[in-house]
Amino acid sequence: MRIKACVALTKASIMDFLQFRLSAFVMLLGNIIYLIVIYNLWRAIYASVDNATINGMSFNDTMIYLVLASAQFTFMEAYLVWMMGRAIQSGKIVLDLLKPVPYAQYLLFGLEGGNLCAFVVTFIPTFIIVEIITKGAIHIGVNILFYLAAALLGMIINFAIDFFVGTICLYTQSTWGINIMKEVVVLFLSGATVPLAFFPETLKKIALFLPFHAIYNTPLTFLTKGHEMGLGESFLLIGEQALWAVVLLIIGKIFWKLSERIITVNGG
Amino acid sequence: MKRLGFYISIYRKIIIQDIKSKMSYRSDFIISMIGMIITDISELLAFYIMFLNFPSVCGWTYHEMLFLYGFSLVALTPLQCLFDNNWNLRHYVYEGDFIKYCFRPINIFFYFISEDFDTKGLGQFFVGMGTIVYAWYKLSLPVTFFNIAALIVALIAASLFMVSIMNIAAASCFFLTNSGYIMVTMNKFRDYAKYPVTIFPIFFRIIFTFIIPIAFIAYFPSLVILRPQEIPFLTWFSPVYGIIFFFISYKIWMWGAGKYSGTGS
Repeated sequence: MRIKACVALTKASIMDFLQFRLSAFVMLLGNIIYLIVIYNLWRAIYASVDNATINGMSFNDTMIYLVLASAQFTFMEAYLVWMMGRAIQSGKIVLDLLKPVPYAQYLLFGLEGGNLCAFVVTFIPTFIIVEIITKGAIHIGVNILFYLAAALLGMIINFAIDFFVGTICLYTQSTWGINIMKEVVVLFLSGATVPLAFFPETLKKIALFLPFHAIYNTPLTFLTKGHEMGLGESFLLIGEQALWAVVLLIIGKIFWKLSERIITVNGG
Repeated sequence: MKRLGFYISIYRKIIIQDIKSKMSYRSDFIISMIGMIITDISELLAFYIMFLNFPSVCGWTYHEMLFLYGFSLVALTPLQCLFDNNWNLRHYVYEGDFIKYCFRPINIFFYFISEDFDTKGLGQFFVGMGTIVYAWYKLSLPVTFFNIAALIVALIAASLFMVSIMNIAAASCFFLTNSGYIMVTMNKFRDYAKYPVTIFPIFFRIIFTFIIPIAFIAYFPSLVILRPQEIPFLTWFSPVYGIIFFFISYKIWMWGAGKYSGTGS
């Protein structure tokens, strides 16, 4: 019964995505422009050190890392905090809560289909373009499977964090500020803005201690360094992600249960 | 002249109402302000980390890059503070509420834009000013009357470009439904304004100079102060170009508004 509901929600979200094909195309275009800017910027930066490898990152590694981080952002970021904030402000949340599926699941499966489509429409083309530009610098092998697993877990962690932050909106009634703060903290500490490898030692330690790096840094590491890692090491990284995913989902769920009762909706 | 005074007095009244209504959500105001400042600071941190690993970008040092970044932040403040209502335009048009702007005996563009004063943009202004002052001090640039005057003129001219780009992007909703993604995509370009345009190959330099003129947001105007010995012609041209570009964007916006026929409700 539960599974049937989840499949139905996923299907609905895929259909919803297909309604806005043009926006997916523009998203891909935005990604390509970003790719051009990043390529030239880091080309210029690496030119100042004669294309040396800095902190284990060559020019190609940095390119792959940053461009795919941005592509990953487009399929992972589902603007959940916005959705929850708007549902809270408009009162639509009451209808969502009446659904015979727990709210967190309703949201997760309602977004998953869209994420999946965005993955196919924007991530895969960007991946291919990067592979061509860097002349096959992304190793294709078992690491791709690890990447997919890590990206899925990263998506769940991202969802759990979003859900937690969205719940905060119940208290603050402020969506924009909360959302932008979350976005900045996640993007920065996950290494999507500047690769974690470039961070100064202490900051890197802090970042690796927090869950955010599991969203972008872990999956992307499989693409840049995956072929150099042993199976044991790879499974360890996946295990760490899985642990974070479970912990964060539980925390989110508890926080939601505690906060649910303060929902106030004005008017009828 | 009398008309200008009339518009200014209306603007003041509308803005005061808007700020009053925003102040009734005080926590939202404070959280948004902090959010804005954190965003800008994370960018500064990114620069800092980048320059820990690399000595320069295309001959630009850390402090020069900071200057560019601070300059772009201040130049983008008017867009954030005064023209933020453009983000709502597509909802108004889609839901039919835009009709209310058509029934006032004042300029539609003016009335629509004046309705929203985005207070959180002020955080960006202060971070930007702080960055400029810090970089100015570190680069030991001379503090002369000419430099200060040039900075102010350059900032005002620079602010026109992104405003114009977003005006045109917002106006696209008069012609297309669900044009939000056009605004989101164009809005991304503001992030690229903080880099010296010389890092791009010639083809993109032309695009970023003439078609989507983000090079005028920070790079060209900053040269007056950063590299006074090698100011290109385009720098002097930028105020004129800014005004022309703004005028074009205004005309496109008004043309779109003229085509608006309501939703029939």
